[in-house]
Amino acid sequence: MALIRHILKQTVTYKLFKSILVNLVDFMEVMGNITTGLFEVIKAFFRGELEWKELINQCERFGISSLPITLSIVGMTCVIIVSQIAQEMVKQGGGNFVGALVAVLIVRELGVIMSGFAIISMIGSSLASELATMRVTEQIDALYTLKVNPYGYLFLPRVLAGMLMMPPVVIISSLFGILAGALTSDLAAGLSYRVYFDSIWIGIFAKDMFVCLAKAVCFGAVIALISCAFGFHASGGAKGVGIATTRAVVWSFVAIVIIDMLFAIAFFF
Amino acid sequence: MSIEVKNLVKAFGEKKVIDDVSFKVNDGEILAIVGFSGSGKSTILKLISNLIEKDSGEIITSGGDIAFVFQYSALFDSLTVYDNIAFALHERRDLRKKYTEKQIREIVAEKLALVGLKGIENLYPSELSGGMQKRVSFARAIVTGPKVILYDEPTAGLDPIASTLIEDYILRLRNETGATSIVVTHQMSTIKRTADKVIMLYDGKIVFSGTPEELLKMDNDYTKQFVTASIEGPMKMVGA
Ligand SMILES: Nc1ncnc2c1ncn2[C@@H]1O[C@H](COP(=O)(O)OP(=O)(O)O)[C@@H](O)[C@H]1O
Ligand SMILES: [Mg+2]
Repeated sequence: MALIRHILKQTVTYKLFKSILVNLVDFMEVMGNITTGLFEVIKAFFRGELEWKELINQCERFGISSLPITLSIVGMTCVIIVSQIAQEMVKQGGGNFVGALVAVLIVRELGVIMSGFAIISMIGSSLASELATMRVTEQIDALYTLKVNPYGYLFLPRVLAGMLMMPPVVIISSLFGILAGALTSDLAAGLSYRVYFDSIWIGIFAKDMFVCLAKAVCFGAVIALISCAFGFHASGGAKGVGIATTRAVVWSFVAIVIIDMLFAIAFFF
Repeated sequence: MSIEVKNLVKAFGEKKVIDDVSFKVNDGEILAIVGFSGSGKSTILKLISNLIEKDSGEIITSGGDIAFVFQYSALFDSLTVYDNIAFALHERRDLRKKYTEKQIREIVAEKLALVGLKGIENLYPSELSGGMQKRVSFARAIVTGPKVILYDEPTAGLDPIASTLIEDYILRLRNETGATSIVVTHQMSTIKRTADKVIMLYDGKIVFSGTPEELLKMDNDYTKQFVTASIEGPMKMVGA
């Protein structure tokens, strides 16, 4: 009997099912952690647990310390796009629309998603490793024994800072990207700034900007929430901190792409 | 305030880490819990302070704050010594608006003095020695005047003089605050100098219970092995 069980356990089917099951259980656990985080943050907010000083600290971290990276990523994305298309468009007689194309791309998708990626790699990873370190060094246990709610003290200011700071980050980096596009179209295709800037408003509407900002708020919240949740539930020393950080980054990436897709389906289908 | 533990059981997965443990610590007493690594000492403290949930049994304490002094201090490394000690007064919802900053400064200085420190309020934990971190974490834990203090290996990893200092502060805190204390340790000096009673854990069960003197008499195979730190004996070190 034991032998049969042993042999069965070596089969691919068994291993496959086991790994699916393990992954499914793990997936449910992560979703549970994130959902709990969300509800606890909302609860803490309405109980007035927010500390303004900490919110300002986190806003600074989220919005200001990340700017060099978000600006360069969004800026360079625009440089790349324009240098690929500007000459061709001018050749085909579409020079008047280079600005419009860049603006539509940036406002509708690239500004917010590229900023999101930059924020995940810079802020999300640091949030996750910060909370994970607190977990494995028992600082989170210390919070509990001092009767301070970690969701109110740690999660709330971070998630709120994400929601508040992501829109300005997206706006600033998008403007920067559009400027970088102008510069590039001048250099690459000899397009005048006036032609470029005149066409910017052809393709974007109030709705685009509204959706863009709504996405920014969602991304900010989701990145902060996921990163905090993975850090908070870390276990097992320095290695656990590394694992939590990696998983926070991967989940955040996937989450914002999914949210972006949902927005696209809801508003532009 | 006394602490009474009755038939406590806690398992992680399949493994019963705490298996039907009962003991009582009277008001103002210091109980030492001894035993090898992995015998479940920290788990008992975490159960008493509600950091983890018990599977069954009873833990009876008559309310009030339970202070926890963590094995590796667990100071908030992004906060100064001052903010660490004042943490509960600043952040706890029911204490937040109770004191002015001036009062808090006085309380912090007083708690620091109680653990023999002074003038280090603006330093960060990483700028302190291990022994000083321990003492700051004492000060942080007792800032709200708890009636129960739990110490997880307070002298582990400290040099003998720093250990003696810590032992003195454990006694002093008990004498000045009348708190009931549980000290997890495997250091003989800490047991001899601080404890009124000792229990010894092995494999989730209590294998000895008595006074430090009785422990030193070694009239039980377990205490003999523990006191002489012998490899031979009823207790097997798993994975050591
Ligand atoms: N959160 C946990 N999950 C799983 N196992 C744990 C957990 N905490 C402790 N253990 C296990 O319980 C046993 C007792 O741990 P602990 O109470 O820390 O021992 P001690 O403090 O006496 O060294 C160890 O085998 C440890 O691996
Ligand atoms: Mg321990």
